[in-house]
Amino acid sequence: MIPLGLLSAGENGEIVEIMLGKGEGVSGAGQDKTSVRVEEMGLRIGKNVEMLTNGGNTILLRVDEARIALARRMAMKIMVRR
Amino acid sequence: MSTQLKYKEEEETAGSAPATARTITVAVAGNPNSGKSTLINAIAGTRLHVGNWAGVTVEKKEALFEFGGRKIRLVDLPGTYSLSPYSQEEIVARDYLVHERPDLIVNVVDATNLERNLYLTVQIMELGIPVVMALNIYDEAQEKGYRIDVKGIEEMLGIAVVPTSATKKTGLDELLSRALAVADSPTGSAPRKLNYGEDVETAVDYVAEALERNYPSLLERYPKRWLLLKIMEQDSQVLEKVNLADQGFLDEALHHLKRAHGEDIESIMADVRYSLASGLTREILEKPELRQTELTEKIDRIVLNRFLGIPIFMLAMWLLFKLTFDLSAPYGDWLRAMTEGPFKRWASAILTPLGAPDWTVSLVNDGVIAGVGSVIVFVPVIFAMMFFITFLEGSGYMARAAFVMDRTMHSIGLHGKSFIPMLLGFGCNVPGIYATRTLENPKDKVLTALLVPLMSCGARLPVYVLFVGIFFPNNSGTVIWSLYIIGILLAVFMGLIFKRTLFRGEAPMFIMELPPYRMPSFSSLCVHTWEKGKHFLFKAGTYIFAVSVLVWFLLNLPWGVEHKRDSYLGQAGAAVAPIFQPVGFGTWEAASSLITGVIAKEIVVGTMGEIYAPKHGEEKKEIPTLKEDLKEIVTSFGEASVKAMKTLLYLPQPEEKEEDQGGLKLAIGGAFTPLTAYAFMVFVLLYMPCVVAIAAMRQEFGTWKWAAVGLLYQTALAWGAALIVYQGGRLLGLGG
Repeated sequence: MIPLGLLSAGENGEIVEIMLGKGEGVSGAGQDKTSVRVEEMGLRIGKNVEMLTNGGNTILLRVDEARIALARRMAMKIMVRR
Repeated sequence: MSTQLKYKEEEETAGSAPATARTITVAVAGNPNSGKSTLINAIAGTRLHVGNWAGVTVEKKEALFEFGGRKIRLVDLPGTYSLSPYSQEEIVARDYLVHERPDLIVNVVDATNLERNLYLTVQIMELGIPVVMALNIYDEAQEKGYRIDVKGIEEMLGIAVVPTSATKKTGLDELLSRALAVADSPTGSAPRKLNYGEDVETAVDYVAEALERNYPSLLERYPKRWLLLKIMEQDSQVLEKVNLADQGFLDEALHHLKRAHGEDIESIMADVRYSLASGLTREILEKPELRQTELTEKIDRIVLNRFLGIPIFMLAMWLLFKLTFDLSAPYGDWLRAMTEGPFKRWASAILTPLGAPDWTVSLVNDGVIAGVGSVIVFVPVIFAMMFFITFLEGSGYMARAAFVMDRTMHSIGLHGKSFIPMLLGFGCNVPGIYATRTLENPKDKVLTALLVPLMSCGARLPVYVLFVGIFFPNNSGTVIWSLYIIGILLAVFMGLIFKRTLFRGEAPMFIMELPPYRMPSFSSLCVHTWEKGKHFLFKAGTYIFAVSVLVWFLLNLPWGVEHKRDSYLGQAGAAVAPIFQPVGFGTWEAASSLITGVIAKEIVVGTMGEIYAPKHGEEKKEIPTLKEDLKEIVTSFGEASVKAMKTLLYLPQPEEKEEDQGGLKLAIGGAFTPLTAYAFMVFVLLYMPCVVAIAAMRQEFGTWKWAAVGLLYQTALAWGAALIVYQGGRLLGLGG
């Protein structure tokens, strides 16, 4: 089990845990919920993702046929199994 | 719920009218990038905005048309991933569905991303409004080798499903026929109530009983199942609206659920809905074993490359500006020749024989035609720029620009998504400010909106083009480019300052979807270019027309004023002028233009046109006839087109003779030096946002506070920057 952010380009992984707490990372109104947003975009436990681009502070993933760009800080809190 | 629908029908059909006379309201809902806007365009052929990045349809757009002898009103809802109340789009979409209660929802689903799209479908079905699913991008799904059991979806969800391809315009008629059939079906073909599992359903029943006992009226006001679920989830927005006096029953209802699944009801519900969506996907979708690498991924490998990303982005921007100016300049010149020549002659020719007094002729010629005309000249530039920006949006590159720029944006406390409003700001600041609503975090929104006006919008171009044409004819492109860069650098600078003062805290998290690359169709490009550019035309027709007339009066009152400096506007300008002394343009003419430019920056040019308008009476010797004029207009338009094409293809062009520069250019050439002209352009770039942008900020944030902050800091920044340019330039011996 490694953080999603450590997969290198071309590698696949299955999401096993999302450690983004509610409200984590997104400051402000208290209604913003990173974890909810992440899951709505299709990043959920059990989902297979492919790392497309990993470099810099934003990574690019493929989830089904969608390409999701994600902050590295968030990707480090999503655990995957290779 | 049924009473709700009946009530609505009665209202709309006025009791006895046959059902066929009724307009059917169809709301179109779906994920961002599900092809929803394209689908609506293909169906209604109306001018809806088509774009590719998340949340492009923030405004509610409608289309009214007839199909099968029935009137249909299509309402385009913002693209959302869910109906939770976390972003403005979601709130807009769900408020519409709950309160306006359309007759039918067309749920546009991306067939290549079924699971995520079905998650929204599940939520839409909670509303109890009849649903027809447009299984869109079906052609691509088939090309990928997906096998989708359409009948299976229909059976499991109890809704009609029609495979469509918005880009190929297939399945659209069937979609509408099915929609009509569903809307007309007497039994009210509400979607099936999906089973959320025993634990949840028990809790729902408990809440239902409690509400029926204590708040029966609530259940009639809202879609029942939706209301029950929202109350259970303790959706803050809903709880606030329904205002339950006693929420004690909730604890009891949720007791078992929480003990079995954990404290967080919202997550439990999200899980339940998502497992329905993914369970359904497993049942009906068969994917091929091997997945092919797509073209989009291949392009992305280059475009998003760590080292190539930013250079490619810069190149794209450079091309954008180059194409814009090369293509539009000849047409701008053509329009200028029109307004300065034939139009004024015609106005005099019509007005003088009618016995119009001299002052009326002057109002029309020096006021309206000079003022509006000098701005209309820039219509080609603005439309060309809008066209290329639309192309970037439609092709999917705009979202990549956000991705590539994310690192840079981080340095000023924003993430890459904020880059899109800024990029739009280059077209016009107003849509840029409105686009900040796609950002989730209120802090980001305000900070982005404050920085957007530093992006040099299309309305500032007329000022640059005019001055550059006079003072920097050989480096026009570079000088204009430098102004854009100054705006960007100062945005970075102000971002850093704001980050350390008004908006302290961590840079926010970044998550966004990058749509696949698509080639936008020429017709949709034209439609959206028009959508964006028309505001400028309307501004010219209304605001700028009115201001031109006003400026003419201010310049010619008190009545019989000899010199324009003694007019009201001249006096006001003269009063303010000393402020501009240190920055190099402390003349009443410049000050007056800047005063009127607050309405809209292009008016600076219009006012100058009026102030410096050559005294008439010095008419040309021979006046061409109407026929000659018309002929000239047509031939010169043809010449302009040839020139534009030649520039585009880099064909050599005959060296241009410097024609008579026109009175305005001569007058300005005498009043400014290259240095003061540059300082003036910098000031125009930066000084307070135009009134429309200020109004937009007021509207977006519901308070004057941020508009005022923007106004103050920008004006101070403008003065400071112009001071540095002018005094610095003098120190370097560039001449004053």
